[in-house]
Amino acid sequence: MAGIFDFGPAIVLLPFLSFLIAVGTALSGRDLLPKGGAIPGIAATAGSLVLSIAMAAAVAGGEVYDETIYTWAVGAVPGSTGLELTFGLLIDPLSSMMLVIVTLVALLVHVFSLGYMNDDGQTGLPRYYAGLGLFTASMLGFVVADNLLMAFMFFELVGLCSYLLIGFHFREPGPPSAAKKAFLVTRFGDYFFLVGVVAVFATFGTAQFVGTEAAPGFPVLAEQALHGEFAANTFLGLAPQAWFTVVGLLVLGGVIGKSAQFPLHTWLPDAMEGPTPVSALIHAATMVAAGVYLVARMYGFYAVSPTALGVIALVGGFTALFAGTMGIVKRELKQVLAYSTISQYGYMMLALGAGGYVAATFHLLTHAFFKALLFLGAGSVILAMHHNENMWDMGGLKDKMPVTYYSFLAGSLALAGIFPFAGFWSKDEILFETLIHGLNGQPLLLIGYVFGLLAVPVTAFYTFRMVFLTFHGDARTEQAESPESVRWNVKGPLAVLGVLATVAGAVNLAPVRVLTGAHVDFLHAWLDGGFSDLTVHHYEEIGPYSSAYIGGEVTTVLLGAAVSLGLALLGLGLAYRLYAVPEPVEHTDKLGAAKDLLYDNYYQDEYQVYLANRVVLPLARAADTFDQGVVDGAVNAVSSVSLFSGSRIRRIQTGVVSNYAALVTLGLTALLVVFGVLGGWLL
Amino acid sequence: MVPPQYYLLLAAAVFCIGVFGLLTRRNALLFLMSVELMLNAANINLVAFSYYWGNVTGQTFGLFTMALAAAEVAIGIGIILVLYRNFHEIDVTEATTMRW
Repeated sequence: MAGIFDFGPAIVLLPFLSFLIAVGTALSGRDLLPKGGAIPGIAATAGSLVLSIAMAAAVAGGEVYDETIYTWAVGAVPGSTGLELTFGLLIDPLSSMMLVIVTLVALLVHVFSLGYMNDDGQTGLPRYYAGLGLFTASMLGFVVADNLLMAFMFFELVGLCSYLLIGFHFREPGPPSAAKKAFLVTRFGDYFFLVGVVAVFATFGTAQFVGTEAAPGFPVLAEQALHGEFAANTFLGLAPQAWFTVVGLLVLGGVIGKSAQFPLHTWLPDAMEGPTPVSALIHAATMVAAGVYLVARMYGFYAVSPTALGVIALVGGFTALFAGTMGIVKRELKQVLAYSTISQYGYMMLALGAGGYVAATFHLLTHAFFKALLFLGAGSVILAMHHNENMWDMGGLKDKMPVTYYSFLAGSLALAGIFPFAGFWSKDEILFETLIHGLNGQPLLLIGYVFGLLAVPVTAFYTFRMVFLTFHGDARTEQAESPESVRWNVKGPLAVLGVLATVAGAVNLAPVRVLTGAHVDFLHAWLDGGFSDLTVHHYEEIGPYSSAYIGGEVTTVLLGAAVSLGLALLGLGLAYRLYAVPEPVEHTDKLGAAKDLLYDNYYQDEYQVYLANRVVLPLARAADTFDQGVVDGAVNAVSSVSLFSGSRIRRIQTGVVSNYAALVTLGLTALLVVFGVLGGWLL
Repeated sequence: MVPPQYYLLLAAAVFCIGVFGLLTRRNALLFLMSVELMLNAANINLVAFSYYWGNVTGQTFGLFTMALAAAEVAIGIGIILVLYRNFHEIDVTEATTMRW
């Protein structure tokens, strides 16, 4: 049966092919391809997009797909059926949705790169497109992965591509160091993830996300273990519940690193050293989403552990507010966007931790569109400003670049959560879910809710501070007076994403459903299809939360939406008052020491460097001393004993045959005496 | 019939003379002769037990040992010739270049 799903591997392999072509071009060192190798990348991502949409259509028709493509290792484990390490494809509502997002953004970024990189006369383009191709391939591989180990491998590949692309301008001082930082910080999280993967294998004997009735995936096994229907191997003497929490938190380490959650968020702002299309693709829309996607992918596993969910919610809520506050004082366009990215992923984590699976996925979808849009818009501005990113050098670009301005405005309204743009619906749903679950005796969630709510006006404020400084007022420099014009390949992607950022909220109008009863929460229905163990109502059944309302559901919905919209408008209004003037001044200077604290990122980098220097380095030195002294010392002692005794004993080799004969005779005599004594003939 | 103890005593005596020669002499030719004595002590034993048990296997082995002794002497003489060529004497205590 040759269904559409048989073409599944092609989604991943097409961008990989474009990567190979670009690498070949780069290695040949000649200008073999037009546009520096962009065409294969565009063709490949377009092909993947078409296939992804076809898959999504098939999934919409009720089909799902879970197939092992290749088993690369089989191991016998004592007391179990054996361990299989495989590559497989899992296409269900969640992954098909993510496939469409990733391929669409990748395609638009490839097109945008024509304007940003090619038209700007950058060199090393085949290398750039090779990185983009490999990144797209590995991200897609991660999305379709059907087991945790495969997901981990592609997770690492994604991190590698991020490293390669951040350090694209490797001759300047900043990018290589930022690339290293990004790699190291995310690797630190991935270390825990790897331990978590091994723990999952050791606990359940499988790492499949979904399985058959006879061999279920590990989230289902965890659920059965808690009901006593499956004997999971737990370690450290912990009960299953506690052990699952430990495993969940270990995997969460990778999520926190990749999705730039506190305290491993420090790499993301520095990653803005990479080319802007890369920031749009990797550090906003897709790679950073990998962490959140991973939690959503194995949500059945987290749902059985209230403690892990609480941690996720708290980390997410705190990150949302924490990162947002840093965004309000930054001077560079991309820095503001970087902190807003961290903050928005905090919202998604908050939603996941609060049992808002649909809300988190929804925000993932809308955020991918509006944040890619904002980054590409920023790229367009940066291009026009000859790579000056300082917002204080801009101003008045509104009339000179209308396409950029209006699409950027749409993205900003979505980011700020203003009705009826996409971000309003998803953010409101997150806050709503957190509130109703928190009201039912979950103080942790209420704390997360307060964090999330406080982040709303902060988000609106920094977003519109950015918009007003960049596009409104008078031009403050010569470049801003006469910006470079951009071409269709920049405007096209902006227009597409601008439309999506405006209307994407329509896929899940949950509040409207509550108010009118019409079934307009399409995403909810979408995610409720597919494998029965991966559906929304299954997660709600096994999750620890139930809902409570303030005076009825309708009142709560309206109240929540009104509060969040009111706070967003408050932030927007404040930004309008302060910055929508012809000659804006840096009002945040009035914050005094607090501003320095925010501008220096709460000294996060400093304390991490301090930890590395004062804690990790001495620890490493001690370990080195132990290794050199004790471990190597024992080995060296054995060898020196051998050397010394050898140098003494060799003296018996005199070269005089008579001595040898005497030794042989003595030996024989000694042997005879020993035999005699032992045999009882003598004595 | 002569009891086997006498043969054994004779063989032990011949063997000990051989060992004594090996340990005390410096001349390589005398080394060879001492080794011959030790071999022949073993031969005496073989023949004596063969006669005692009425089984000719031991005597057959005695013949083999003689052939072996002849071969050993041939090689030994060869070694002594080389020794002489290199050191211009056959005193074994002088040829001590193969040592630590």
